[in-house]
Amino acid sequence: MSAPSLPRIQHMIGSGIVAAVGVWVTYISYTATPSEAFLFPRLIATVFVVLALWTFAKACLGWTKVGNGITPTQVKNLAPGLIIALIYIFWAAKGLGFYTATTIAFFILLSLYDPAPHGQLKSWLKRIAITAVFMVVMYGLFAKLLTVYTPREVFF
Amino acid sequence: MKKLLAGAAIALTAMTGASFADGHANYPERPIMMMVSYGAGGATDFQARIVTMTAGNEDALGMPIAILNKPGAGGRVGWNWLAGQAEADGYTLGAYNIPHFIAQSIKGGVEYSRDSFEPIANWGADPAVMVVGADSEFNTMEDVVNFAKENPGKLTTSGAGLFVGHHIAALQMEKACGCSMAYIPTKGGGAAAMKAVIAGEVMAGINNLSDAFRAREAGNVKILGVADLERNDFMPDVPTMMEAGLDVDNSSVNFRGVMVPKGTPQGIIDKLAATVPTMFENSRVQGKMKAGGSPMHIMTRDEVLAMWEKREQTLKELLAGL
Amino acid sequence: MEFLYYFGDVFTPINFGLLLLGTIGGLILGATPGLSPTMAVALLIPFTFQLQAAQGLILLGAAYTSTVAGGAVSAILLKIPGAPANIATTLDGHTMAQKGEGAKALQISFLASAVGGIFGVLLLIFLTPVLAQWALAFGPSHLFWLAILGVTVIGSLDSKSVVKGLLSGCIGLWLATIGFDDIMGAQRFIFHPALGGGINIIAALIGLFAIPQVITMFAKGRKGDGAEVLKVQKHPISGAFRELFRNKRAMGIGTAVGSVIGLIPGVGGQIAGLVAYDQSKKFSPDRDKFGTGHPEGVIAAESANNAMVGPSLVPLLTLSIPGSPTAAVLLGGLLIHGIFPGTDLFDNHPDVAWTFINSMLIGQVLMCIFGLYVAGLAARVAQVPQSVMAAVVLGLAVFGSYSVQSSMGDVYVMAALGVMMYFLERFGFSAAPLVLGLILGPIAEANFIQGSMIANATDGLGPYFLGGTLNIFLIVVVIASIAYSGYMELRSRRYTSKEEIIA
Repeated sequence: MSAPSLPRIQHMIGSGIVAAVGVWVTYISYTATPSEAFLFPRLIATVFVVLALWTFAKACLGWTKVGNGITPTQVKNLAPGLIIALIYIFWAAKGLGFYTATTIAFFILLSLYDPAPHGQLKSWLKRIAITAVFMVVMYGLFAKLLTVYTPREVFF
Repeated sequence: MKKLLAGAAIALTAMTGASFADGHANYPERPIMMMVSYGAGGATDFQARIVTMTAGNEDALGMPIAILNKPGAGGRVGWNWLAGQAEADGYTLGAYNIPHFIAQSIKGGVEYSRDSFEPIANWGADPAVMVVGADSEFNTMEDVVNFAKENPGKLTTSGAGLFVGHHIAALQMEKACGCSMAYIPTKGGGAAAMKAVIAGEVMAGINNLSDAFRAREAGNVKILGVADLERNDFMPDVPTMMEAGLDVDNSSVNFRGVMVPKGTPQGIIDKLAATVPTMFENSRVQGKMKAGGSPMHIMTRDEVLAMWEKREQTLKELLAGL
Repeated sequence: MEFLYYFGDVFTPINFGLLLLGTIGGLILGATPGLSPTMAVALLIPFTFQLQAAQGLILLGAAYTSTVAGGAVSAILLKIPGAPANIATTLDGHTMAQKGEGAKALQISFLASAVGGIFGVLLLIFLTPVLAQWALAFGPSHLFWLAILGVTVIGSLDSKSVVKGLLSGCIGLWLATIGFDDIMGAQRFIFHPALGGGINIIAALIGLFAIPQVITMFAKGRKGDGAEVLKVQKHPISGAFRELFRNKRAMGIGTAVGSVIGLIPGVGGQIAGLVAYDQSKKFSPDRDKFGTGHPEGVIAAESANNAMVGPSLVPLLTLSIPGSPTAAVLLGGLLIHGIFPGTDLFDNHPDVAWTFINSMLIGQVLMCIFGLYVAGLAARVAQVPQSVMAAVVLGLAVFGSYSVQSSMGDVYVMAALGVMMYFLERFGFSAAPLVLGLILGPIAEANFIQGSMIANATDGLGPYFLGGTLNIFLIVVVIASIAYSGYMELRSRRYTSKEEIIA
């Protein structure tokens, strides 16, 4: 794999966010009360912010050695999956109930990323079968064997 | 198809609605969850698992109770969750520890108070005891008090955390003898506090009677005094703090029981309050609790309500200066 | 030799049946994401109500041993460590599975587990009285230094850049402070209600390891470069034995580190695997291969986390102090039968004590046999197409993190940490040091605060934290570890820059 020329700007944004979090953590650690409870966070935050600013400075100067960044193709590929995963986790799982939401999300993700052609009935049947098998296993494992009571809304 | 589904959904809502209307006669219709705000294996968790083991019997609730551990920060994490995030539908119960949660709510920084919860019944009362290592120079409460008086702030005493029963007992002792101790709260609850005593990291410790009883059986500690009004059946040879001349009452006794979050339908509370105490009285439950060295003390909802109120008053006075 | 006398009891039909049940059940539960050994053992407690004391303990002991080993299955195949003990296993194990060597990775992991595990139980049998004193020797100051020793490992663990490794560790240490402070009860950094209970370590593990991998699969796209079906290489069991013998050093380091660290109450189990992994890496001539699917890494990690099982029960059985959450649950299993660990157990109920210990010994062997049998089949999981795999791992991650405490908050935390970790990984940060920080933070903090409270009441901070043979020894090891990392960093810097020029 030939190393892609690293967009310095990506590294600057990445380490910039980490540095910003570091500064925020340090600020809170030194100002929040009761101060004795923040003794340890202060220690961590100090080291944290120093290392984070150093990394940020290195990124700005273009000295970053490790990390490949993200290519536009990767972003294009991962975006739909990530969006569906986030909707599934942060809304659907609770809103529709775990089993319903998982079935839907699983099937959509499978249809999006499965290389089998979208025009064939056979590949659709296969996707439905895989989803069904997975959901039966999950139901058996978590609902029956472990008796975890997951949020259930519409069906089960 | 869509219409059919919608129809089914409406029918379903109507059915559940109906069961709400008729005073929860069918409750419980599915397994119940009980939150324990301490880790799996701790004294509260262990006892909670035993006292709820017969919940599935027909003469009890007819549905099993599953234990859910939400440990952290001396119980604050779990009780915050029960008061703020748990659903008050009768399927989420919680175990309480008195004086812990009341003391914490007085001290502040948490999202619950005595009014956030409705007690159901009490199952156990575990007094705090004073323990020292088996090879310690202290043999009586007097020895400990004398040392504390001569060396203010030097008597290192371990306990399970701040504003839990052990801490309350330590505060009461300091007030009674007019001396000061170095109370060392441990992370990891009573077990870690006991380990500190046995390993000689601290000079003394305040711990649960049930755990101390076991440690004494293993030959690791001496028990010097019980912070209760009467001597305990498990160790009739150990004097109470009162007998040892310290004015320490039973405010630090760790009462354990079942409660529900405020807002749980009254019908369900009544049903639970009627059924749960009889569940605790089951002979199998009693036998297992006795075998494990856990003192039982069954109280009904009304008795617990009175106890909570009384405790809150004493604790407010005790913690006023802190 | 008293234990030999009770060996027969293990093989009565009921006892042996329970042992089988516990072992197989434990492997399944251990392989389920989100179910730590502690939870698995706690789930089995109600069944032991009906059983006799020895029988109940056989079930619990077998489940404990095999859940620890079973965690390796999901760590290797799905990159979801079941418990902190299995983090180090993912580093090389999952990379091996990606190369099609899943069967080999599973086989050597079960063999290494069994060797480490048997050694640990033998220690428990023969050296219990000596070990008990050793376990008690660690007070707050020593545990603090031990945690610091763990922190020094952070920089060198699975990261090409020491600064970024340390920074990842700092992020982990900070994440660990979120929630209620354990001793004072003050709220820290709770900027979302889901964080009220702090960050649950199991949920965090699932998020940090599984989610970045799911997103990486998404990033490859519908017909991406990873879409071709992987060939799973068959691997003969005899080959796995040979591999194990070839790596005696990793095996020895793993077993020794696991047994020693496992003994220390409150710390051991969580970091035994990571410390052993790091140590074998430092002592290995092939240290550059670690992290790229090197069998030594799997052997060190897995032998360590099973070697820890036996010694971790020493404080419980002799002193009645549960040294780990799992030991605390086992204590419950004894108490309901009215048996108190300590002298009572060995004097009045030797049949219970020794049958239990012996069954753990046999359990290790059974676990290994079943594990080896399953390894070949399970490794086919790697053949599952990427698209299915991504969806399966995502579903398991959600269910697994929810089931830890039946809490949606944990699922949100899992997902947020996971997405964050994906982007951090793209910029050269790694999950292993972050997790180590997350584990060590609370240990270091609580012991420092507790130690300083004791110190202030007695002989002062300096003498308390710096005095005493054990403290001085640990400080020397900490300094040596830092010096060694610095030296390695300087030496390897030349090599990496040369490689980069070639690339």
